[in-house]
Amino acid sequence: MAGNFWQSSHYQQWLLDKQDLIRERQHDLAILPEDEYQKIFIFFSSVIQTLGEQLKLRQQVIATATVYFKRFYARNSLKCIDPLLLAPTCIFLASKVEEFGVISNTRLITTCQTVIKNKFGYAYTQEFPYRTNHILECEFYLLENLDCCLIVYQPYRPLLQLVQDMGHEEQLLTLAWRIVNDSLRTDLSLLYPPYQIAIGCLQIACVILQKDQKGWFAELNVDIEKIQEIARYIINLFELWKTYDEKKEIQGLLAKMPKPKPAPQR
Amino acid sequence: MTNKLNKYEKIEFLGEGQFATVYKARDVDTDNIVAVKKIKLGSRQEAQDGINRTALREIKLLQELHHLNIIGLLDVFGHMSNVSLVFDFMDTDLEVIIKDNTIILTTANIKSYILQTLQGLEYLHLNWILHRDLKPNNLLVNANGVLKVGDFGLAKLYGSPNRINTHQVVTRWYRPPELLFGAKQYGTCIDMWAVGCILAELLLRVPLFPGVSDLDQLTKIFGVFGNPTEENWPGVRGLSDYVDFKPFTPIPLKSIFTAAGDDLLDLIEGLLVLSPIGRRNCTESLKMAFFSNKPAPTAGPKLPLPQSLRKAREAQKPTLKRKLLDKMEGDILAKRLVF
Repeated sequence: MAGNFWQSSHYQQWLLDKQDLIRERQHDLAILPEDEYQKIFIFFSSVIQTLGEQLKLRQQVIATATVYFKRFYARNSLKCIDPLLLAPTCIFLASKVEEFGVISNTRLITTCQTVIKNKFGYAYTQEFPYRTNHILECEFYLLENLDCCLIVYQPYRPLLQLVQDMGHEEQLLTLAWRIVNDSLRTDLSLLYPPYQIAIGCLQIACVILQKDQKGWFAELNVDIEKIQEIARYIINLFELWKTYDEKKEIQGLLAKMPKPKPAPQR
Repeated sequence: MTNKLNKYEKIEFLGEGQFATVYKARDVDTDNIVAVKKIKLGSRQEAQDGINRTALREIKLLQELHHLNIIGLLDVFGHMSNVSLVFDFMDTDLEVIIKDNTIILTTANIKSYILQTLQGLEYLHLNWILHRDLKPNNLLVNANGVLKVGDFGLAKLYGSPNRINTHQVVTRWYRPPELLFGAKQYGTCIDMWAVGCILAELLLRVPLFPGVSDLDQLTKIFGVFGNPTEENWPGVRGLSDYVDFKPFTPIPLKSIFTAAGDDLLDLIEGLLVLSPIGRRNCTESLKMAFFSNKPAPTAGPKLPLPQSLRKAREAQKPTLKRKLLDKMEGDILAKRLVF
């Protein structure tokens, strides 16, 4: 994404403080401990990713949709809107903002139905309950809660430049790219600028591939402490994945999650 | 959300376009005068697409842009597909000013308008945004003579290599020859051509190339600049819609713009170049002698206002005058009492 990051709404309004994030989530964290809260967001990031892949969207669009999703719940409780409705709404809005052709609402709803049934049947026993009018209503609410800030910067472009600078290597880029995808499952996109996330992911990729690039990293003009913080977020995610069986746990977590009050029956 | 609907009090209807209706309104909280652009709902089919794409483009770009010569987006409100955007209120636009034959546009006035246009556009281009619909009607002017580039419904981020763009952009009279030939990869030069056409129109007071069809548009352009060749425009024959035209003899610009000085002609000649890569960009244009030479650009508040605005102001004056008179009489009366 082009533009000037340092003057962007992303940099000026949407890099949040860890403390603010905890405060905003107080209500949800009173019901769900932090690790369970995180597991719910990992799950919905996967839902967005799978929906996006099914709709053949570019990763940039999927990443933007995921950031919208996270920004919304950085300000609102899970009980405000069912995340199962917000997830496709984020995809709908992001595909328009990123100028990725039209996803018709019917196609979006049909894809949601098949994806939920075939890929996430372990989480939902009932079929996808929402229709076009729900998404349309939700879309405007989402736009408002994003404060109309729609342009999101992603770590992919800086990552390409960094890998090229390091001496282009296909294997390294592929792995680092995947780690950036994984970083969407964490709070990183709410807390750190994308170029730092790119460096953090690249560093982990180097460690995994046992490439000694200490000299190259040392020459970077960045706050290395921030990079270490980012790396820790990702390592924590990997640690969590080692012992966590989503298929077994997610139904229980979704049942426990705070929910919107059902609309009053007339 | 609902309380926002009452935040703006409609004053009058301003105009209607293809996608939207515009109203002048008052912000009840601040008393500011604003322009509310209500996006038309369109067909039921379009309503299914949710928030209108044109509106979304304006929202996403203007949210990131802050410059004196770029229209400010102040607020967004609505419900579902029914969206309204709130902008700075602008009294008039360059189209009205150009068409108003009671206004005399001096070199100093023209310099001021073009300077402000280029400054706003330079900021856009430095932020990797193409406007893609520059025309006098989209250059808005307020009563203080501040010009702001408006209507970002076609604007787009550029710079991704190999990205295919549509050539069906820019109102025909301001559309550069490469788009008329079907170019799908383009950059800031398309906006520069439009600035050239607008500058010409400020001088001539009629559009420079009022084509009635795409082919007629090209005929009018080549009628002035002569035919494009591989020498003056490398690659022109490779464009998808390229066709040969009957031979034209170029006309010197001096004979079209008889009243323009050499420095102004230099500026026009740098903008209206057939080959897109031959055109000067904003930054280069702003460095041209025209802008540092005398006369200095007219200061904003001294720029001419269209007849309709002047009349509206004069209509307001008597009441003001009477109030003052009343006040004065009161004072006089008081004084008399003292005496």
